[in-house]
Amino acid sequence: MFFQQLFNGIIIGATYSLVAVGFSIVYSVLELVNFAHGSFYVLAGYLVLTMYSFMALPYPVALLASLVITSILGALMNKCLLEPIRRKTSSGESVMTATLGVSTFILNLIMVLYGSETKPFPMPFDLGRIYIGNVIMKWDQIIIGIAAVIMIVIMSLIIYKTKIGSGMRAIAQDVSAAKLMGVNTEMVITVAFFSGTLCAAIAGILIAMYYGSVDTTMYLGVSMKTFAASLLGGIGSLPGAALGGVIIGILEAFVAGYVGAEWKDCMAFVVLILVLLFRPSGLFGHKEIKKV
Amino acid sequence: MFKKITTAWALHRRAAMIVALIVLIIYPFLFSNQYLVTVATLGGVYSILAMSLNLISGYMGITSLGHAAFWGVGAYTAALLSTKLGWPFLLTLLAACIVSLIFGVLLGLPTLRLSGRYLTIVTLAFCEIIKTVETNWRSLTNGASGIVGIPKPEIFGYTFSSPKQIYFMVLVLCAITYILISRLMDSRLGRGITAVRDDYIAAQAMGIKDSRYKIMAFVISAALAGVAGGFYAHYMSFISPLNFSFDYSTLILSMIIIGGLGNLTGSVIGALLLTILPEALRPIMEWRQVIYGALLVVVILCKPTGILGNVNLKHIRQRVLFDRKKENEGKKDEEGEVKA
Amino acid sequence: MSTPVLRTEKVTQRFGGLVAVNSVDMQVNKGEIVGIIGPNGAGKTTLFNCITGQYTPTEGKIYFHDKDITGMTPYEITELGMCRTFQNIKLFPHMTIMENAMVGAHTRIKENLWDVWFHTKAYKKAEKEAEERARKALELTGLTENPYYYGTDLPYGKQRRLEIARAIASDPEILMFDEPAAGMNEGETADLTGFIREIRDLGYTILLIEHDMRLVMNLCDRIYVLDHGNLIATGKPEEIKQNPLVIEAYLGKKA
Repeated sequence: MFFQQLFNGIIIGATYSLVAVGFSIVYSVLELVNFAHGSFYVLAGYLVLTMYSFMALPYPVALLASLVITSILGALMNKCLLEPIRRKTSSGESVMTATLGVSTFILNLIMVLYGSETKPFPMPFDLGRIYIGNVIMKWDQIIIGIAAVIMIVIMSLIIYKTKIGSGMRAIAQDVSAAKLMGVNTEMVITVAFFSGTLCAAIAGILIAMYYGSVDTTMYLGVSMKTFAASLLGGIGSLPGAALGGVIIGILEAFVAGYVGAEWKDCMAFVVLILVLLFRPSGLFGHKEIKKV
Repeated sequence: MFKKITTAWALHRRAAMIVALIVLIIYPFLFSNQYLVTVATLGGVYSILAMSLNLISGYMGITSLGHAAFWGVGAYTAALLSTKLGWPFLLTLLAACIVSLIFGVLLGLPTLRLSGRYLTIVTLAFCEIIKTVETNWRSLTNGASGIVGIPKPEIFGYTFSSPKQIYFMVLVLCAITYILISRLMDSRLGRGITAVRDDYIAAQAMGIKDSRYKIMAFVISAALAGVAGGFYAHYMSFISPLNFSFDYSTLILSMIIIGGLGNLTGSVIGALLLTILPEALRPIMEWRQVIYGALLVVVILCKPTGILGNVNLKHIRQRVLFDRKKENEGKKDEEGEVKA
Repeated sequence: MSTPVLRTEKVTQRFGGLVAVNSVDMQVNKGEIVGIIGPNGAGKTTLFNCITGQYTPTEGKIYFHDKDITGMTPYEITELGMCRTFQNIKLFPHMTIMENAMVGAHTRIKENLWDVWFHTKAYKKAEKEAEERARKALELTGLTENPYYYGTDLPYGKQRRLEIARAIASDPEILMFDEPAAGMNEGETADLTGFIREIRDLGYTILLIEHDMRLVMNLCDRIYVLDHGNLIATGKPEEIKQNPLVIEAYLGKKA
């Protein structure tokens, strides 16, 4: 029982981590709470469903196309909506409200087109399972976990090792200084949205595979939990966000197993508040020094 | 154009206020359709919530996604006290106010330690935790099925049951909220709040205890939202945790952003707009949330700071009057010189 | 020697291993203009921040008259009667010039929620007083044009004056200026020199940090020179000008 919960928690936590990492990328660049992030996560699942089940595209093509379309939509949202708003006002709240509008739009559009009930998500292969002691591990679970980890590693490499990644980190520190140093800030921000959304899309598809279904209500829970996860680790720190996701996944599995499933959804927030009480910048965040 | 309107408005503020009040008072008698009065009542509840959130998010500058929690706490307090203990309306309203106030202190405390960006998510966490407790503490709150049969508001034996009566009650509550917040902001305490928002280091150097002002803003805001909750419970006579979920926090926040942060009239306009809009879209039921989302984006895109963002009528009025006075003095001086 | 209004006793501030201010003793007497100078990174601003309460010194004591104010918060210190300005001007952008100055009077008036909500006599009296104090401070600093525009719309030099007006409105005994001439041209600096003298003649005691040597030498009665956190010289401007240690600190050893 204990190890089974632990295993389930780690796997689901890994997908949370992936969403949180994507959220963190955008957040660290713009300090924006991007509400649309979670809706792209849902959208990716539905796109796969559409292309595989209704348009009868081959499964891998459907997966890939869904990822590409969703990520491009994420980048377009920045380019066509958020960038003009940022140009007009310095108020971050306005941009945030716009993402809220986008997310309302996407989620309700899905609901109108697909109905609000849970849809089965196609999983054409049954990969079987292995047993270690009493713990049942399905192969698709293992693949989901590994895929999430690989994506997080790739994203971290991009952020910490490439030129565009250093551009992102430069903008995160000081936009005007980055501009002066010749960073094409708008381009970098768009790339941040693209890669952030890509993370969400991959996670969305992985979760849909995990549960074997998609529905629009999974949006709220997951998107808010991942805000919490990225804060828990310390905003701006990708490994922090990843760890935050795993911690929350494990915790939820144990609470669901030992306390009651109805309490699991708010555990992320309880832990977040407890951690922030003692470490106001999260587990791995740097303390902000006030300058006079 | 916009500038002309705001200037005229600023100069005739009192007249504009009286006209608005008259319109609001005769409104329920204009239509035989009770439904319109009910929508306006809901708009009133949201106006109180929006104005009180404006204190935290507009004037104090802390974007809060937890406002629905205060609303819910107030509503549940009033509902439980009246259905389980049979308390009268005025007492439950007072209790709703006080209990929400205590939660305001609770949520206000982290503001002393955390920076703005962390706070927003903490307020969100607060909202979710409160909702989960409302849903899961079944013995007290009856869980997801909510509380039914909350009596209609009654003051000293007079029951407010018709839509018109309820409408006037919410109008009074709105007016009180408006007066309390606008008077607060037009004082030493309000200047303290603005100073802390603008630059807390400079504020401290001017002798402003910033922590006190942050807590004060949260407490007053929460207490007002609590009253709105208490009233809402009695008016609807049914509440469930879904009424106070995160969606409503973001709805209230959208209202004040569309209306313009830091402007109370803007908050009311935003609240009314976002109450009426979904109702107006009711005929195309299933598409209305889609359109609502799109409109939200379009409005922000056209006017990112909201309808009345950064418009301070008092400042405009003072500025224009000062210039006029100076001009007149200048003229008098000239006349004096000519005579001499 | 006259009585000190402000006195530091072996004030030391460390940040990790770095000693920013090392055991500094200084005092400011009533009616004086005292300058703290030193090359970049000498610890001037750190010392200043210790005095104004932004930092709590690692060691040492600070006295205002005979009261120990070490470790007090900035707002307590302002309430006692010391008020500062900032090197990078910190006005309140959502406030008019008048309101900025009225914030200065914050500690000198009293209003509670009851007064504010019911517009009691106490409220009206307090608001009037705040406005009166603000108006006086604005007149003193020559900001007599329409005071209902936003403070941040003023030209740079006037913004600095508004910051000073805000400090004056708090009715301080000591005014503390953090690099008041920063970013000003020669003409503006000359104006400022005259202006600070006028303020002193009204009975304020002034402590300032400055980079601009001409301003300091023209203005100050006494000067403290810091280098690498240590106090290396103190005295009248003429003495400081001739002090070899100071010349060395500013120009390097070989010069």
